Amino acid sequence: MNKPSNPNGRAPGTPPVLQLRGIGKFFPGVIANKDVDLDVWPGEIHALLGENGAGKSTLMNVVTGIYQPEEGEIILDGYGQTFASPQDAIRAGIGMVHQHFKLVEAFTVAENIHLGWDEAPRIASPAVMEARTQEISERFGFPVRPDARVCDLSAGEQQRVEILRVLARKARLLIMDEPTAVLTPEETRELFRALRAFRAQGNAVIIISHKLDEVMEISDRVSILRGGRKIGTFNTADCNPSMLAATMVGRDIVRRDMRTRPEGAAPIAPEPIMQLRHVSVRDDRGVETLRDVSLDLHGGEILGIAGVAGNGQRELTHVLTGLMARTSGEILLDGALVDRADPALFAAAGVGHIPEDRLRSALAPSLSITANMALREYAQPPIGRHGLYDATAAGALAHDIAGLAQVNIPDFAMPIRNLSGGNQQRLVARREIRIASRVLVAAYPARGLDIGAIATMLGYLTDLRDQGVAVVFISEDLEDLLNVSDRIGVMFHGRLMSVIPAAGADIATIGMLMGGREPADIQAGAAQ
Amino acid sequence: MATRAFQRLPTAPAGRILMLRLVAIILSLFIIACVLALSGHSPLMLAELIIHSTLGSRFGLEDLALFMCPLLLTGAAVTVCGTIGLWNIGAEGQFYAGAIAATGVALGVHGSALTVLPLMTIAGIVGGMAWITVPTLARAYAGVNEIITTLLLNFIASLLTYYLTTGPWRDRISGAQVSTQRISVSIPEMWGIVHWGFPVAIVIVIGLALVLSRTRWGYEIRIGGANPEAARYAGIPVRLRIISVMLLSGGLAGLAGMFEVAGTVHRLQGGMANNFGYLGIVVAVLARGSCLNVIPAALLMALILDSGIVMQTQQLSASVILAITGLILFMIAIGDELAHYRPLARTTPQGTAAGSKVS
Repeated sequence: MNKPSNPNGRAPGTPPVLQLRGIGKFFPGVIANKDVDLDVWPGEIHALLGENGAGKSTLMNVVTGIYQPEEGEIILDGYGQTFASPQDAIRAGIGMVHQHFKLVEAFTVAENIHLGWDEAPRIASPAVMEARTQEISERFGFPVRPDARVCDLSAGEQQRVEILRVLARKARLLIMDEPTAVLTPEETRELFRALRAFRAQGNAVIIISHKLDEVMEISDRVSILRGGRKIGTFNTADCNPSMLAATMVGRDIVRRDMRTRPEGAAPIAPEPIMQLRHVSVRDDRGVETLRDVSLDLHGGEILGIAGVAGNGQRELTHVLTGLMARTSGEILLDGALVDRADPALFAAAGVGHIPEDRLRSALAPSLSITANMALREYAQPPIGRHGLYDATAAGALAHDIAGLAQVNIPDFAMPIRNLSGGNQQRLVARREIRIASRVLVAAYPARGLDIGAIATMLGYLTDLRDQGVAVVFISEDLEDLLNVSDRIGVMFHGRLMSVIPAAGADIATIGMLMGGREPADIQAGAAQ
Repeated sequence: MATRAFQRLPTAPAGRILMLRLVAIILSLFIIACVLALSGHSPLMLAELIIHSTLGSRFGLEDLALFMCPLLLTGAAVTVCGTIGLWNIGAEGQFYAGAIAATGVALGVHGSALTVLPLMTIAGIVGGMAWITVPTLARAYAGVNEIITTLLLNFIASLLTYYLTTGPWRDRISGAQVSTQRISVSIPEMWGIVHWGFPVAIVIVIGLALVLSRTRWGYEIRIGGANPEAARYAGIPVRLRIISVMLLSGGLAGLAGMFEVAGTVHRLQGGMANNFGYLGIVVAVLARGSCLNVIPAALLMALILDSGIVMQTQQLSASVILAITGLILFMIAIGDELAHYRPLARTTPQGTAAGSKVS
């Protein structure tokens, strides 16, 4: 079953650069990794594929010495190793380039390369450091400008600095966490060229990615993780994107149809409540994070949004709730143009919002539970009248919300951060459902909840739907999405790839759309 | 294996804080007494003298009230600003600006107190606001750190006061140094030398406490201070709130300057702010973000200041007073931090393990 594969052309007896045997890593109440075996050979680019929370990052943190595994062993070049710290791993030749660069923006490229490097000359003038950087840059084939400040560089250039930092420290195994997420297509091509050159020198690369096309293009072999365990390792040449997608997301999904409405439930309204017309958003760096999204939200309908996190879901939620201004396109509320991104205006129009990072952005941790529960209704009677704030009425509201959320609160005056994270979440959800008379935008509402609480949360969504509210349900859990949604939209790279009816949706298709396959290609593939 | 015997609570109960502060003050008084005794003073005699000339006599109480009046307002200025998460370090400068503006009105407008005093009040508030305008706009629109801008403006205001009191506004009648002439109107006295500014300051502090807890504006300020991101999420115009709070803060400090000119000193003097602006920060820290707590905090600060003056009459240098102030505040800070800790119950596994070893 698990015999180490030895691709052709390698001298017999060559040990893998990295071997993992039965790695297990546990956090309180969570199994992050269990029984993970992995072989990475010299001269190989190895892709690591998996959904959010599949355990990819934890595994790589174990390999780079950030975490210590509770079970299993790490074998480098045939010798068992333990890493007490990331420095140990770097000394052993393992370098990691994180998704979010760890560079000092105010420093120059040369300074960043030399920062914390024990081989840096003791007395280093800028000229010396820049010359050394130039030499390193040419040696490894990653062109950089040594005297440029990091904050003036593009994402691609910053990434090259990160890679050089790692390579200068004699890394033989380069681990890259979603390296192309911030790159333009041209920069991606350059990166791949450089990675192939690095591989040609007998080094190894582990690349974490969600993008199936890129995995197919760059990797020699691919290992898929799911739920903290390795599902398998495949030669990329034997794979195709749809098979990878299906393996990646294809846990045993129990399809339960929660679409059937009880008697008396509101039907799906023919007229949309909210419409997006060709809406695009650019971030501060000018990168288009939401691209030409058109969407209709109908009352009495749940629209599921699937996709790997970070593909524009956050921007979509923020545009739908008035937190973010669109760069182009139109937003219509009840047929009328909304020309201002103003969250208060959206809330007053009956748009509720359970944000993704609700504990951070929807609550004031140091204020009382009462003050937090009043956040959405403080401006209207009975709490807000004539510019006053009625603390008694706010207390009554907090009581109501806590009762509905079934959270037991001993003292409403205590800071809300004293409650458990789960209870804070439930209170936010209930507070938002209260004001969501027209639309509820729920971003990952089930995240971090236990099974019972997830069922309750999904029940909230279907209840709202039955009351005629338009529900947008963003999740990374396909099972939940397929079970409650009427339609499912898939996001990739800020685009809404396709919106399909959930009832007949095919998991493999959704998986491929999540991986960036064009809907047209999928249809063509199916027709063959 | 070392196990922790204490647990840190995220919020300290008010009762524990109060208790530990009392302990801190008593402990610092004990340390001060020891040091004074070692340096040849009689702590008991000094203590008796201090108590007599502060809480123990009518004159002492009057002095206390006069010290408290500006401290209440500057303390409130810093506290209000702190509610939205910003530090107004410039109450000293706004105090001067208020004092200058009020003096300008008093020197320039001749009329009955009934017309001049309200004008001086407005001028004082507007002066304080004007002094914080640039830091406010820089903070709200460019994200410039308000701590630095407000602090630096203090020196300008202080030097401007010296310029005016030695230059164009210098006292040409009695020839007093670094001072304007005595202004013709004054806030009426209420009790001995205590003017009506004192009760007004108390009412203002109580009013602010009510505004912060009972108005929509106050609620938005509190949310904005506790989590700006949540405020944005709720559609609160955080920028406008920052502007209004900072202007209010500057206005309060400016009013303190006007009260000092029209109620206590009756003229503009170089150095007259007497560190009231900086001590307002201390008062705000002692008050832990609550406007009502500003009242006892200002009382404590006034007591320390007054005791300092008494001690100076006993040949103790001014720096000793500063050291004593520092010691008391330092001990209180330790007390506040300790209030977060509570001993772990003795039913931990550690306890049972020790028990089983014995048996």
